[in-house]
Amino acid sequence: MDMSPYRNLFFSESREHLRAFSELIVKMEQGVGSREDLYALFRSAHSLKGMAASMGYGGIAELSHSLEDLLDRVRKEELIFDTGIADLLLEGTDLLEAMIADVSAELQTARNIDDLVQRLATYQSVPSGPGVKSPASYSQSPAIEERESHDDAPQTVRVRTEVLDNLINITGELITNKHRLLTVGKELESTSLDEATVELSRLLRDLHSEIVLVRLIPFAAVADRFPRVVRDLAKKIGKEVVFEMEGAEIELDRGILEGLVDPIVHILRNAVDHALEVPADRNACGKPSQGRIKLVVSREKDQVVVAVVDDGRGMDPERLVSHAVENGFIGPEAGRLMTPGEAFMLICLPGFSTAREVGAVSGRGVGMDAVRSTIQTLGGNMTIESEPGKGSRFILRLPLTIAIINVLLVRLSLIAVAIPVTNVQRTLELKRSLIYMRGKQALFDLEGEQLPLLSLNRILGFPHGGAGELLPLFVCELKGRRVGLVVDSFIGQQEIFVKPLGRPLASMKGLGGGAVLGNGEVVFILDVANLL
Amino acid sequence: MGHKVLLVDDSLFMRNMLRGIFEGEGYEIVAEAADGVEAVRKYRDFRPDITTMDIVMPAKNGIEALREIRAIDGNARVIMCSAVGQESLITAAQQAGACDFILKPFNTERVREVIRRVAGD
Repeated sequence: MDMSPYRNLFFSESREHLRAFSELIVKMEQGVGSREDLYALFRSAHSLKGMAASMGYGGIAELSHSLEDLLDRVRKEELIFDTGIADLLLEGTDLLEAMIADVSAELQTARNIDDLVQRLATYQSVPSGPGVKSPASYSQSPAIEERESHDDAPQTVRVRTEVLDNLINITGELITNKHRLLTVGKELESTSLDEATVELSRLLRDLHSEIVLVRLIPFAAVADRFPRVVRDLAKKIGKEVVFEMEGAEIELDRGILEGLVDPIVHILRNAVDHALEVPADRNACGKPSQGRIKLVVSREKDQVVVAVVDDGRGMDPERLVSHAVENGFIGPEAGRLMTPGEAFMLICLPGFSTAREVGAVSGRGVGMDAVRSTIQTLGGNMTIESEPGKGSRFILRLPLTIAIINVLLVRLSLIAVAIPVTNVQRTLELKRSLIYMRGKQALFDLEGEQLPLLSLNRILGFPHGGAGELLPLFVCELKGRRVGLVVDSFIGQQEIFVKPLGRPLASMKGLGGGAVLGNGEVVFILDVANLL
Repeated sequence: MGHKVLLVDDSLFMRNMLRGIFEGEGYEIVAEAADGVEAVRKYRDFRPDITTMDIVMPAKNGIEALREIRAIDGNARVIMCSAVGQESLITAAQQAGACDFILKPFNTERVREVIRRVAGD
């Protein structure tokens, strides 16, 4: 049968289905979708399958069929519609869109759908929430028999994520109010009020940690895309890669986890694209043809550590430094003083490795500035370790939760500001006599290292602060470089509830949010990553 | 020859394809419907000789629509259209009084064969 009269109709109708599809998936994922929405999703996949098969587009029909089957399992309540399902369906939508665009442009692009079809067919929900056992590792899906024996399984309920957000907001406000009570208690010198506030503090801590637990979801919830990122790129550029993942059962805050996806994808892509050598080069230096990339997630105290480890060509700190000096990113003196750790962070300077020759030397820098600032905005930090010829290790440290954080409160000449403690390496008071100048740059020595000394007042455009003999300062990382930032005085460390800034403040560089202190004072939280 | 046909499918693409096949055989398409509710209404209004009925549709599925149409007209000739893998639905449709089936994706020859059989031509 001549199908050409129906071609255009196929394209317009199938695109309409995909548009509706994406919208409905997001609606379902947000927990505001109805049963009818779920049926509509199912019908769209079903119609698309029928249309594509009629047109003789086998791949599109097969993929639509897999989407339909997964939705059928949800419809029959064998699965609940969770983030994992939404991700798979969206991935499928994207792929279908691309495939339809291909046939519409009469392109013969070979697109691999087998991997997705396989994942759609074998999908099992990842249980999450307090008291629910996480799968032992990312690769092991919970067995069906295990899921069916729910007699002695812990009771679970599904909660909309916005309810979780409200809970953490209310807890945050309670913590602010606790600080108010503490302030009042001090003024009144009332023992009984103090006792009550201490008890209140304890209860609030418990409440906060319980709510944090509820918001945690296992890393596995986003991990399914990573093997594919590595595999697809390696395949495309002719490299052989073994990709391993460890610790996918480790849980962290949903918001942080979502924010982490892009940075991790970026680091993985860089690792495949630049760090790993082509098989021939690897053999030449005695390495197996297959490169190894490992994504390791672990818990350290109240932080989650995500490490991307490769066994590629590694980076040479000296060559990075000389490139940075040659291209005017840093002065020769600063270059001479750099530790290897700092030298690796040079690749996070905007524009650092867009220069052609560095592509070969470091090969890791493209877009790393965005990666680093995303991680810092999430309240975490990144470090890099590397050894030429052996490989590199990108280490991301993240807090378990973002809404309530520990900050260092400091006073400046005009206002007080808060710095997340994850960004503060240490605090000290420096004698003026220990400061020395090199050119126009004030420096001081710390642990055998020469650090530039900057004034936070000056960076923020405030007037000069106090002029005591001892300068209070904290050490942090600015643009890949350890520096000392001088403040007027330290107020102390405190737990605060971060509130997002509205417009127009939110668009100001260097501000990471705001908070209300117990005494009613409003403080800004500095986003150290974007301060300069 | 010259039978009146009602096409029911939520996909315009599918209806157009069926229209192409039916018209090629000399049938007259008197109406189209995109869901089960519309199908029952159009059946009542147009009293077609033959109806093709998709199963998976919004508002009212094809099997329910078939039941209602058979309740209106015990002699209604309805051909069910369903995708491969929906065999359980076929049984339900048979019990509801469907007189024949065409499988998606459509095989033109097979569709013609079914139409002729149902039309008694």
